[in-house]
Amino acid sequence: MSEKLKQIISKQHKTDESINHSEDIVQLVGFIIGDEEFAVPILAIQEIIKPFPWTRVPQVPKYIVGVFNIRGAVIPLIDLRLKFGLSPKKHNEDTRFIVMRHGDDIAGFVIDRLTMAIRIKKSRIGPAPETANGDDTVIDGVGKQEDRIITILKVNKLLERDF
Amino acid sequence: MDEFQEILQDFLVESFELIEQLDQDLVELESNPQDLELLNRIFRVAHTIKGASSFLNFDVLTHLTHHMEDVLNKARHGDLVIDADIMDVILESIDLMKALLVIIRDSSSDGGIDVSACVSRLDKCTGGSGEVESPIVQEVPSAEKTEVEESEDDEIDYENMDADELEAEIERLLQQRQAEDRAKRAAKSSSDDTNPEEDFADEPIKPASKTPVAVTPTPKPAPIEYDSDSSDDAKAAAPAKKASTVEQTIRVDVKRLDHLMNLIGELVLAKNRLIKINDDVEERYEGEGFLEELNQVVSIVSLVTTDLQIAVMKTRMLPIGKVFNKFPRMIRDLSRELNKKIELEIFGEDTELDKSIVEEVGDPLVHIIRNSCDHGIETPQIRAGQGKNETGTIKLKAYNEGNQIVIQIDDDGKGLDVELLKKKSLEKGIITQKEAENMSDKEAFALIFKPGFSMAAKVTNVSGRGVGMDVVKTNIEKLNGIIDIDSELGVGTSMKLKIPLTLAIIQALLVGVQEEHYAIPLASVLETVRISTDEVYTVEGRSVMRLREDVLPLVHIGDIFEVERILDSSEYAYVVVLGLGTSKLGLIVDTLVGQEEIVIKSLGEFLKGIEGIAGATIRGDGGVTLIVDVVAIMDMAKHVKKSAVADSNSDSAMLTREKTKASDYTVMIVDDSKTDRMIMRKALEPLGVTLVEAGDGQEALGILKQGEYNFDAMLIDIEMPRMDGYTLATEIKKYNRYKNLPLIAVTSRTGKSDRMRGVESGMIEYITKPYSADYLSSVVQRNINFRSEFL
Repeated sequence: MSEKLKQIISKQHKTDESINHSEDIVQLVGFIIGDEEFAVPILAIQEIIKPFPWTRVPQVPKYIVGVFNIRGAVIPLIDLRLKFGLSPKKHNEDTRFIVMRHGDDIAGFVIDRLTMAIRIKKSRIGPAPETANGDDTVIDGVGKQEDRIITILKVNKLLERDF
Repeated sequence: MDEFQEILQDFLVESFELIEQLDQDLVELESNPQDLELLNRIFRVAHTIKGASSFLNFDVLTHLTHHMEDVLNKARHGDLVIDADIMDVILESIDLMKALLVIIRDSSSDGGIDVSACVSRLDKCTGGSGEVESPIVQEVPSAEKTEVEESEDDEIDYENMDADELEAEIERLLQQRQAEDRAKRAAKSSSDDTNPEEDFADEPIKPASKTPVAVTPTPKPAPIEYDSDSSDDAKAAAPAKKASTVEQTIRVDVKRLDHLMNLIGELVLAKNRLIKINDDVEERYEGEGFLEELNQVVSIVSLVTTDLQIAVMKTRMLPIGKVFNKFPRMIRDLSRELNKKIELEIFGEDTELDKSIVEEVGDPLVHIIRNSCDHGIETPQIRAGQGKNETGTIKLKAYNEGNQIVIQIDDDGKGLDVELLKKKSLEKGIITQKEAENMSDKEAFALIFKPGFSMAAKVTNVSGRGVGMDVVKTNIEKLNGIIDIDSELGVGTSMKLKIPLTLAIIQALLVGVQEEHYAIPLASVLETVRISTDEVYTVEGRSVMRLREDVLPLVHIGDIFEVERILDSSEYAYVVVLGLGTSKLGLIVDTLVGQEEIVIKSLGEFLKGIEGIAGATIRGDGGVTLIVDVVAIMDMAKHVKKSAVADSNSDSAMLTREKTKASDYTVMIVDDSKTDRMIMRKALEPLGVTLVEAGDGQEALGILKQGEYNFDAMLIDIEMPRMDGYTLATEIKKYNRYKNLPLIAVTSRTGKSDRMRGVESGMIEYITKPYSADYLSSVVQRNINFRSEFL
């Protein structure tokens, strides 16, 4: 049984890889903050969870709403609305926490709404707009789909302490 | 190669352990030079290290230890009396030995240190004494001298020798050794020493063990020594003692213990959670049969977890003696350097501490003891002049006190001069004139911990840079410990370091402020007091209160942590008195939640270094509670200004906003029965007011907290799951902005006591089911001041 499973899984792996290799496809997860759609690489996401209670932390910028417990680890919770300079908004049933990881850095991010998993060809991703260029920007690039554009974020920049 | 590495590791571990004991033994030996057992023990260390190092081809180390062994051997056979000068040489050679071992540990070879000077001095020791005691022994040192040179040659030769040459060399050495041996025996028999000859016979072979060929004879010579010496009465007791102290131990990688400790931490959290759930279940299913069983299981789990935690903590414990061991030697060196007579007395070296703390506590103690020697103990002349014993005494004590370990350093020196301390601090600009005048003695003593402070007139080798004690304080505080100083001029100084037993799991006092909870390490909490708000006075813009004799500075935890004041502060508050060494601070909190065992978790890279927060812990309900950094809070309290009185005007303004239409009125209906909610809705809908529904107390409270609506009244059922009407009403009344919100009970409970409870919890109307729609409507209209023109 498990042998069979392994075979299937390895097969899937192979097909996945072959797709990636042949077409150079990037897999992203899209979400909405305010009116804009953003995305981060799917591999940077540890999990996506529904909002649950957190603890406020004093003496930090407003966009760090606090810390919460995820299976025994205490991790910071960052509100991307506030981080991007938008007005605060009450959490509703679409609100999600996306837990992102880059190396040892880990944090949860509050987003307004998830959209979908996106597969996009590398060739369709353009560079960040010139106004947002440079090392400091959190924008990695801009992906173009048929009817919309998606801002792709740098996870390592999001997880960087900037206060 | 791997095998060699393994042997090397074992060798190093063993050697360092042996050396640790050595220092203390040697100092003891100086005051008690005739102690044969001591001598034997020291000799054995040199001997063991020599044996093993020669086997591992560490020639320089072998060379050195060999000569130490010679000196010690003479001493234990009574041929040499150990005086201070000889002891200096021996101690020097042991320092060299340590240095060599460190080099070996780092580079796996023993080069880079020149031992020849020390070796020749060691040699002189044996030679010089030989001349004085019996001229015949003179042969021995000369024979040894040649041996020295030869062994030095050997060191070079061995590198380039092939097997055959090696064999020949061994043969030659052996023969030479036997010749020496004969000479020695001749010398021995002519002197009146009666030591068994086997002892010597067994030694000369040892140089041969440098090569693998002759490994067998003496890799561990100590036991053989015992056998041969057992005829000697004085030594007979030693083997027996040794047998009784053999302990069954295994070495464990510290990483594994750390991992185990982490797991225990998780378990403690789970246990706390289980206890909380048990309490909740108990409340809800009062009197049910299964509760008994659940209770039993929970208490067993919690008991075992606690025991397990203690057991694992114990495996990480090391005796503080590990740190204390190096002090006799230090005191000895210092007293010679400073020309003072100082004696060190150690008590409680068996007291155990967590490994990580033992490692951290060494340096601060070195500083404190150096300080005591330099500034505390006077010179013998002064002491004699004051009628004190010429020899000063420093007492080093360790003992347990509750969840803490106390390390106490007492000296009988000149004590701290409060006025002088203040003067010096003023000179260096550490304090202002005003501060100096208002200072208590205890606070003045604490000046010695200020960075830049020094009492020494000039910088010496020992102290005077004004760095040491400042470092002591930071290091001890890093361990969540506190320092307490007591001193009497002319009599002495006593310093107490109070350190928690372990770092990972601590006892904490949980306090509440508004809706937030914080954990305060219990080690820093002196007491808690309940005060009424009019006991708080303001002096120079800062809050203070009288606590018995003292004036205690106060700070509200909410001001430090920027807590929003939503809840109404009651007329009573609790003050948690924090103590850190000599300084005290009263932390005002809204509620005391209780004492709990908490597991310290770091806030991670992203949030590290937040002022006033030492870390976080996970509570029984899975929520995160922040741990207060008492040291930082003490500091922050100086800069925090008293916050303005909670701004309640804006809230009430919102509530009394002008109503322009019927739907501006908002009423919440709280009832668990959908039918009942529907009946109320039907009764009120004709008014045209906005209606919001909630299924129970918690939901209602949630809606209130969100603050999306400005409610004008609430209709509350009493019997509800999760949170009943009374509790809900009590909770609502805690909020500033809802203090005047009309709460109307709608219930089928008609008893007088029910009505009374309703009034107590803040309900202003009591409607009993069944009721007519008109009646309900009129009650609501009356309470929300409904304007009739909207009808």
